[in-house]
Amino acid sequence: MSSASSDPDGAATTSLSGEFVAERRADASAFEQQLWDVLDEIPDPHIPVSLVEMAMIYDVDEADGHVTVEMSFPCMGCPAYDMIHNDVESCLTVLDGVDEVDVEVVWDPVWSKDMLTPEVRSKMNESGISL
Amino acid sequence: MSDWPEPAVDYVQAITDTKILLGQRYAQWSLAGPSLEDDIGGASAAQEEIGHVRQLVRELEGQGRDPDWLNGDREPEEFANAASLDRIDGNWAEYLASIAPTDRAAWYMLDAIDRDDLDGLITKIGEDEYFHLEYHDARLETLADEDPETIQATLEETLPQALALIGPAAHDESADPLYDAGFTDRPAAELREAFAEHYRELFADTDVSLEAVDWDAPPIGEWDETRRRADAGAIAEADVTQISGKQNELFAMN
Repeated sequence: MSSASSDPDGAATTSLSGEFVAERRADASAFEQQLWDVLDEIPDPHIPVSLVEMAMIYDVDEADGHVTVEMSFPCMGCPAYDMIHNDVESCLTVLDGVDEVDVEVVWDPVWSKDMLTPEVRSKMNESGISL
Repeated sequence: MSDWPEPAVDYVQAITDTKILLGQRYAQWSLAGPSLEDDIGGASAAQEEIGHVRQLVRELEGQGRDPDWLNGDREPEEFANAASLDRIDGNWAEYLASIAPTDRAAWYMLDAIDRDDLDGLITKIGEDEYFHLEYHDARLETLADEDPETIQATLEETLPQALALIGPAAHDESADPLYDAGFTDRPAAELREAFAEHYRELFADTDVSLEAVDWDAPPIGEWDETRRRADAGAIAEADVTQISGKQNELFAMN
């Protein structure tokens, strides 16, 4: 069950729980779901989970072949910042139906390890990463 | 064309340029520390400051500033960094007493920005700054015990320079243009008071006296509102060469 809540104005908000990614994917079209799946194959260069598992992908929007990926970073000074941009762009640009990819880095909400699912936490723990 | 109030772009530019120089100075000193922990702390802070700059530069580009100019294609006198970072000579104590108040001043200025669209960015920067400032204070306390003369003499110079970055004392609720425009939620005078109080408390039980610090500096008539400082100094050409990365742009990966 989603833990999404509504603010007093009725706008949907998402929690920073382990369901963060699921909530963000919930409204994706079938094609956008495919794009999420592709992004879920891109490994975080530092940690043995994908960018999606790391909750770094906040939104994927496609309109007429133009894809916008909203993402954030656990570390603002990430040395792989450009490399990750390139990975996202190159993995999506080669897909049928994708003409152009924009990566937008956002900081709201601020990334938090609370966004990680229990499964991802276990995977990281098994790799020797404590949270 | 900027959608920020008139003085806000220069304000964020001064924070950004100060962070560029913080990153540069942290990196330059990151192998000169008295212990491996100090070196690692400095290297980590350098990486984080560069990360902050990367995002602040995006914001300034969004307000119409030229990307090449922002990334270092300019004269040393066009950098609006705190004067305390123009150069850091001397020993580790001088370095710490220069960098610590400057990093704190830049954070107070960022934290005072009151815009919803920058809230997440500033919160994220604050997560890093918490550790920078905690480390600085802990280290200043130990250095105040080991070498109080050097810490005191350096702070007498660098605290007024950091205060100049924050803004003149005359910029209170009725006179601070950034506060008046709603870009910040506290005037410079209030930030200065919190800044001064922090250091008075930090050194209260040490052999470092802050009695001779000019807490009223700079006189508003001498203050440059663009560069947010009261003197005509600047970083060295060699700093600009390194910061711009032009000398080695051939080797960039993208």
